[in-house]
Amino acid sequence: MSDLPLFPTTTVGSFPKPPYLLEARRKRLRGQIEPEELRRLEEQATREWIQRQEELGLDVFVDGEMYRGDMVAYFADEMDGFAIAGLVRSYGNRYYPKPVVTGPVGRKRPITVEWFRFAQSLTGKPVKGMLTGPYTIAEWSFNEYYPTRRELVLELARAIHEEAVDLERAGARFIQIDEPAIHTRPDEDFELAREAMEVVTDGLSAYTITHVCYGDVPRIYPRMLDLPVRQIDLALKNEDFALLEVFRRHRFTKDIGLGVIDAHSHRVETVEEVLDGIRRSLEVFEPRQVYVSPDCGLKTRTIDEAVGKLASMVEGARRAREELRSVV
Amino acid sequence: MRTTHVGSYPKIPDLPAPGRWRTAAEKLQRGEITREQFRQVEDEVTLEAIADQVEAGLDLITDGQIRWEDPQTYFARRLSGFTIDGLQRWFDTNVYYRQPVAEGPVSWREPITVEDYRFARRHSPRPVKPVVTGPYTLSRLSQNRHYARFADFVLAVARALNQELRALDAESPPAVQLDEPAILHYKDDLPLFREAMAAVLEGVRSPVALYTYFGDARGLLGALVELPVQAVGLDFVAGPRNWEVLEAEGFPPDRRLGFGVLDARNTRLETVEEVLRALDRVSRFVSLDRVDLGPTAGLEFLPRRAAKAKLVRLSEVKRAAVEVTR
Repeated sequence: MSDLPLFPTTTVGSFPKPPYLLEARRKRLRGQIEPEELRRLEEQATREWIQRQEELGLDVFVDGEMYRGDMVAYFADEMDGFAIAGLVRSYGNRYYPKPVVTGPVGRKRPITVEWFRFAQSLTGKPVKGMLTGPYTIAEWSFNEYYPTRRELVLELARAIHEEAVDLERAGARFIQIDEPAIHTRPDEDFELAREAMEVVTDGLSAYTITHVCYGDVPRIYPRMLDLPVRQIDLALKNEDFALLEVFRRHRFTKDIGLGVIDAHSHRVETVEEVLDGIRRSLEVFEPRQVYVSPDCGLKTRTIDEAVGKLASMVEGARRAREELRSVV
Repeated sequence: MRTTHVGSYPKIPDLPAPGRWRTAAEKLQRGEITREQFRQVEDEVTLEAIADQVEAGLDLITDGQIRWEDPQTYFARRLSGFTIDGLQRWFDTNVYYRQPVAEGPVSWREPITVEDYRFARRHSPRPVKPVVTGPYTLSRLSQNRHYARFADFVLAVARALNQELRALDAESPPAVQLDEPAILHYKDDLPLFREAMAAVLEGVRSPVALYTYFGDARGLLGALVELPVQAVGLDFVAGPRNWEVLEAEGFPPDRRLGFGVLDARNTRLETVEEVLRALDRVSRFVSLDRVDLGPTAGLEFLPRRAAKAKLVRLSEVKRAAVEVTR
């Protein structure tokens, strides 16, 4: 994007919710406060995160997802065809609400557009439209209705496409479609996930991104370069940039969202560490391919940890820019 | 025909009931309760899992694996030679396990499942079967930094788990379930798998039910039923090809079939008629008195209400099947 600096800095989507909002969400669940009160606090927390992103000097903003719980259940709750089944364990004592597809899925109305508009109205920086991809929504739901996973995934893809079109109409220049489940069945289903992404991004003029994390990325590489998006955002830091070896063997042909900050550790990375990560990545990528971001959404960090990590990230990217200029 | 559970059960009830296990696990992490207090909660939740299976009317139950963090670390943490590393996806599920790493010679130190088995048996009016992760699957899902060859690693794990099975022998369980889902994804390893089975089953007196799931046993079944086991479990939902496998490879009259037809990974509840039709179909290969009807895998993929409904359905099917044959 022409108005962005080299190594634009951005984040993957979610930020930690402030304690007052966590408390309000609990109260809302118990019916102790009205939806309007919760909404007011979600807006307040969103304003705070836009303000923090300004202060940090990030280039491409997110709304921080103060109004979302789980990335799949949020969309399921807002769409036709879903019921919430209950909590299912993913590991340790981590549970997630797993929705159930009980009928034809589709949008009732725009889902994220109003929040996008609100966040964008608070800043002159571009705010990304943030969507969960159809394959991930399908994979992290129970399917009681569609005879095959394929039918469910493609129907969801049409709904998410409509949402993407509405975001673009509302002014979104960046649209990110998260597919963290894309490598669940790398052989059997990658082509389906690709086809679904084609449906989602069909005809969009916005700059499109998909975020994939954890799991076996090498298993879907280089096929993953066939995903019809401009940028693939990946977690590199948490495996100490081991993926670079994979990209060395087969050139990475899209822009890369370079995860340089571990989203799941409490430790705040140093500027040097970020700079080192960018330097190493430049052995594999052209400088203009690289966007700098954390590995994943930061919602599991504390606010202080998130701000500390992002401050290092922004400064690391600035120093990398400077280094490159002095070379040229 | 027997109805049987095949493994895990949800540790927490559906909302809005409080998730006691989950709260206790959080408190344990923060150091607010002791390990003994946590064990107390695990005991109570195990009793809930047993009660649900007994109420559902199952012939053979498990302890619900409430104390298992996952099927790998539950064993690896208690064997010598392993450290525990980061999270990995468990097959094609959205469930993760911490990956064991063999850093030294693997050996058996002490009984792993025996105390849990005794506890469950003491509190269950129905027969209980202990479950043990098989040596091939445990090794396949681990990292090996010690042994020169993967085969050496697998066989060492098999010898260690053999001691576990022998320790269970002393308890005279009605059956021991040995889980080996990984072999379905690495069929070329069949010769090594056979060696591992020979090592793990050597001298074991308890009847062993070898369970596979998340795929089909094409090209394997003939070999699996030749092993010295009482039963072989197959998943007919994630592995619909198992029907062709039965057709092609047959099923010997001296083995039981673990007939996994209720999908452990989807809340959709199969109808009685649907399962009766499947039973009718399978009876062409195995006589029904040798069928262990069950879910395709452990039920912790489901919220508890849905898991319980699957168990109740097993008993309903059995009653209906008895009426049909009368």
